[in-house]
Amino acid sequence: MELLTAVAVGALFGVAIFQLLRRNVVRSAIGLILLGNAVNLFLLSTGAYDGRAAAYAGELAQRSDALPQALVLTAIVISMGGLALAMAMLYIVSARYRTSDLDEITGLRY
Amino acid sequence: MTNHHLVLLPILLPLTASAVALLLRRRPRVQAAWALCAMVTSLAFSLLLLLQVWRGQQAVVFQTGGWAAPWGISLVGDYLSVTLVVMSQIVLSMGILYALGSNDSVVKYPGFYPLFLTLATGLSGALLTGDLFNLFVFAELMVFSGTILTACSDDRYGTEAAFKYFYISLVGSTSLLLGVGCLYVSYGATNMASLASGIMADPQKPLVPLAIAFLMTTFMIKSAVVPFHFWQPDFHTAAPTPVHAVLSSVVVKLGLYGFMRMTSLLFLAQADTVRGILLVTGIIGVFYGGLGATGTYDAKRMLAYSTIGQIGFILVALGWGTPLAMMAAIVFAFNHSLIKSAMLMLAGTVASRARVKTAAFQAITGLGKYMPFTGLLFLIGGLALAGVPPTNGFISKLVLFRSGIEAEQYTALLLIGLASILTLVYIVRAFQAIWWQPPAPEALVKPAGDRLLAPALLIGTVLVLGLWPEPLIRLAEITAAWLGSPDGYIHAVLGG
Repeated sequence: MELLTAVAVGALFGVAIFQLLRRNVVRSAIGLILLGNAVNLFLLSTGAYDGRAAAYAGELAQRSDALPQALVLTAIVISMGGLALAMAMLYIVSARYRTSDLDEITGLRY
Repeated sequence: MTNHHLVLLPILLPLTASAVALLLRRRPRVQAAWALCAMVTSLAFSLLLLLQVWRGQQAVVFQTGGWAAPWGISLVGDYLSVTLVVMSQIVLSMGILYALGSNDSVVKYPGFYPLFLTLATGLSGALLTGDLFNLFVFAELMVFSGTILTACSDDRYGTEAAFKYFYISLVGSTSLLLGVGCLYVSYGATNMASLASGIMADPQKPLVPLAIAFLMTTFMIKSAVVPFHFWQPDFHTAAPTPVHAVLSSVVVKLGLYGFMRMTSLLFLAQADTVRGILLVTGIIGVFYGGLGATGTYDAKRMLAYSTIGQIGFILVALGWGTPLAMMAAIVFAFNHSLIKSAMLMLAGTVASRARVKTAAFQAITGLGKYMPFTGLLFLIGGLALAGVPPTNGFISKLVLFRSGIEAEQYTALLLIGLASILTLVYIVRAFQAIWWQPPAPEALVKPAGDRLLAPALLIGTVLVLGLWPEPLIRLAEITAAWLGSPDGYIHAVLGG
């Protein structure tokens, strides 16, 4: 379980950062989604490192920690709102320039 | 209501006022007046909070929901937080006052004042909270409000700039979450006091350097420190003037607040490494901001670059890290907020008189002929930015250089001394272009522009704090002493 989450978090981060750096604005928005999910999975894994016990708690309890789950819940809501906002701005920008290629969005270039 | 509840008000007042302002959306004038009233009331309560902290010599702590410290979210009003909250609420109130007299079409949108108030909520909350995860939530609230306010700006490229900022700050928030996760794994808490005592007891856990790196990335993005500065001039220039005045003066101070907490509370064992990085990036920032401001073509953009430079000065002081230097950093941050917001409002006033609303030098050259009073205010503000007496900018430079001499950091002192000449160069250049040169023959001046009340009040404060700096210096001195003993903070939050 530990290995599985570690690999999943790593793979998500890798894909997310690759997508984030793409020229296509839609792809980079997908990168943003993946980045949010990667960090949420990481936060979740801090609470239940091997799926049963809290990482720092040692032998105290054989149950997963509820706090990171609450944190992840908050983070999910925030990243959803952020994504909606990013999509709205992306729509305006790409409609104005009639392109989804970041290299052709030249308004800020002087 | 007991005294501890006072720390809630700077957060709750703008938040509820924002909801009420949304209900008032069909009556724009009532809504604007309501927003101003709410912000000024909130400022009054933060001053009261400051008075209470000052009298009690103790942090005001409120445990939300009655949960004891490491489990619940604590709101902590200590000297540092409350000083910065007062600073930001002064500027936010003036920002709303400026928006009331502004001709922009963005201030007439029904969502403008509610978003401005949520920006205030996010900023005060991020400064007052004692919990790292809660800091993330409030910082997100601030980022969202700032992004939307800029995206609907009058500037043609507002949306592009907001989009750019939003991307980079979402990446920054991700990094903050990663930092919180690393610390939570190591110490089982997100409460800053609890983390601080845990890190003090065992500073060598393997994930701690990683957490420091993530937190530093976040705060550097928030403050536009040099390797992460690229979004700042675009974003700030595109923002509407009242929002720009707030963003470029107080919102960028959030990262500095984070650095102060990191070096004086959380990571005491690793503080020297953090300080070294801050010193180097600060010196680079001072030069980069100064040169950028000298070479630019737009008055608002010049001031946005100048913010990078001034943040650099504060980072240098944080990098020295002696009590005197911490005091200098606080005085500098406070004074810079007042000066920079006033200057931005003045630049916005000039831009609002141009034929097409822009602050580009080619459009506003010579317009000063019709605005002598604005010119006087701009000159005083510019001298304050450059650090010429009798303004508060002189006081902050004086304290900064004295702390450098005391810390015996002569190389850094020489470098920032050289760079501060650049400030004078770009201010004089802007003043000359707007007020001394003859206007172009085809230039048209609009008969009325934005009102001058808000910048005039701020410039008045600049002069008062220049002539009578003792209260601010004393406050900063106590704050620096308080930061020097993190036990006070930990005891206040955790009890015992």
